[in-house]
Amino acid sequence: MDALLHVLVVGILLGGIYAVVSLGLNLIFGVIRVVNFAHGELVMLGMYGAFLAYSTLGLDPYSSILLVVPALFLFGLVIQRLVIEPLQAESMMQMFATFALLTILQNVVLAITRGEGYSVPTRLAAAGVQLGEIRITATRLIILVAVTAIAVLLHLFLQRTLLGKSIRAVTQDRQAARLMGINVERTFMVTFGIGAALAGLAGALIAPIYTLAPGIGGNFILAAFAVVVLGGLGSVAGAYFGGIIVGVVEAFAGYYIDPELKQAIWFLIFLAVLIVRPTGLFGQVGAEEIGFREQT
Amino acid sequence: MRGGKLSLWFAALVLAGTAVAQEPLKIGAINPYSGPLALYGDEMARGYQLAVNLRNSKGGVLGRKIELVRGDATNPQQAIAAVEQLATRDNVEIFVGTYVSAIANAGSDAALRHNKLWWDTNALAAELTERKLPNFVRSGPNGQHFAEMSVRAVVELVAPALGKKPNQVSVALEHEDSIYGKTIAEVQKARLERSGVKVAAVGSHNFKATDLTDVVLRTRRANADVWVQTGYVPDTNLLLKTTREQGYKPGVIITVGTGDTFETLDALGAEYLEGVLVVSYPRPDISEKYAPGAAAYLEAYRKAYNRDPIAPQSLAAYGGLLLMFDAVQAAGSTDSGKVRAAAAATDKPLGSYPTGFGVKFDDKFQNMRAQPVVIQWQGGKQVTVFPVEARREGAALRNLPRK
Repeated sequence: MDALLHVLVVGILLGGIYAVVSLGLNLIFGVIRVVNFAHGELVMLGMYGAFLAYSTLGLDPYSSILLVVPALFLFGLVIQRLVIEPLQAESMMQMFATFALLTILQNVVLAITRGEGYSVPTRLAAAGVQLGEIRITATRLIILVAVTAIAVLLHLFLQRTLLGKSIRAVTQDRQAARLMGINVERTFMVTFGIGAALAGLAGALIAPIYTLAPGIGGNFILAAFAVVVLGGLGSVAGAYFGGIIVGVVEAFAGYYIDPELKQAIWFLIFLAVLIVRPTGLFGQVGAEEIGFREQT
Repeated sequence: MRGGKLSLWFAALVLAGTAVAQEPLKIGAINPYSGPLALYGDEMARGYQLAVNLRNSKGGVLGRKIELVRGDATNPQQAIAAVEQLATRDNVEIFVGTYVSAIANAGSDAALRHNKLWWDTNALAAELTERKLPNFVRSGPNGQHFAEMSVRAVVELVAPALGKKPNQVSVALEHEDSIYGKTIAEVQKARLERSGVKVAAVGSHNFKATDLTDVVLRTRRANADVWVQTGYVPDTNLLLKTTREQGYKPGVIITVGTGDTFETLDALGAEYLEGVLVVSYPRPDISEKYAPGAAAYLEAYRKAYNRDPIAPQSLAAYGGLLLMFDAVQAAGSTDSGKVRAAAAATDKPLGSYPTGFGVKFDDKFQNMRAQPVVIQWQGGKQVTVFPVEARREGAALRNLPRK
């Protein structure tokens, strides 16, 4: 019973990591309808951003968020303006372009770092809460708390603010939104910017846990896509709960079955959900038609 | 008149001959010098260059100066291309490499098509010598040697330190699940059980896994005295970090092949690593009696590169190349058959080279006297602790079992 509870806690904390990595991907996926293969690399940039802030300014990764998030937001604007927008009419080409971006970003970081595995220390590395047998470390708890807060804020932003409403309008029907006077291009730019900023935030938050490598984004991207499709495209709640579900499934499969098989098991669940509910658990109807429905 | 012409011809021939003899002996060093594997590729090339410098200062090999030519290969396809280019364009006579077994595999095959020797100093995959290629020699240890050394460490070093007999010690084995980790774990399990050590658990994980808490919890459940881990840098670091996070304190941790560089020190800090054992390539902090020339290597490295070695791969490369120069000199030729014959006829005891290696090749041209060492993290430094004769004066085990 103790082990069961322990594994559940481990799974929820891991789910927090998956959720924070998936939020930005889901936003970009759901709104701009671009499958952003480079999302893992944006997370990786966030991690290296935290490292840079530590090595040059001596900042803790949690303080570095103040620099990393705006930087990634600007970078997102630039990507949308220079890479995605010119290819607006060709969704396949947009996808390939993000793939090119992935390769470029990985190799640039590789060229700069020569593949050395960096670590970002935090003063909170050893901190945590002990509940009987169960230890909850600060680094992971912070991620869970942060992703919960961000999910709520993002939801409120999309529901309550004018900009959020325009993002939702564009998500539902670009053409109608344009006719209503919404600047679709600007909305896209802001959305990509927010998506990239969320990736940067994720990177800074998870940096203390991992050893940084230029290809590390790839370790998360598979899980992130599974989360997004499982939870539902374009749904904040989908990314959040999808992340938690994948995390919990992975923890149970890893502990009770075999760590080698855990990925296979959550992909089985992922397939089952797709068959039963193609829109994902929280997805909007029609969202699964990405890339097929005519968009102008 | 006719005789004069002939003698002119003769003189020209002799001149041409000496010109050939004085041409430098070019050695192609195939390694990843770009891409994610470049860090250790560069490090190995430094070791090679230092060996070349040393030998050249003593007059070179076969009366010729040696020149190192780099061939960049980040994957097997590039290894083939690099060998082709170096063999045809640069007239390279011998190839040396590399710590990436897949690159050694393809590169040595390509070198065979040009009938050139491939002298491997650092690749670990056991199957490289199993192929019995007629141009292949490995002077360094293979994965099996690392596995065997980890078992010796448990039986001869750890058990006495715990005050137990080997049959009272229990071990949990953890390995990354590619062929590399699997092969090592299989050898470890068989040898440990043969020595009477109880193998309490064998676990595996993907080296790209985003979370290893499940592995830590499963290992804790097994409650073994010793935890032996085989992986790459990122997963070894993550495993150790997660172990610390979960408050699990195994008495003895041994990592195999990784965990002995600044990358792990940065990730975990000196305090946590205190007492962790690593099966590693021989390092410069080794007893000079056990590894004659290791101190000179360290001095040359510091002088040339203005820092301490990044990883022990460079010393293995350095020692391996010195070993090859001796074989080429003994063969009187760079022909792969002759060098192999000379190598096969050589019999030198352990402790003949700066790595502590000796020379005795088996019929597959694997050097049987190339053994890794065990280091222990002590105050943020890597200290060679096993085999005992490899210890520097004053070196001793610390914090074992770990507190």
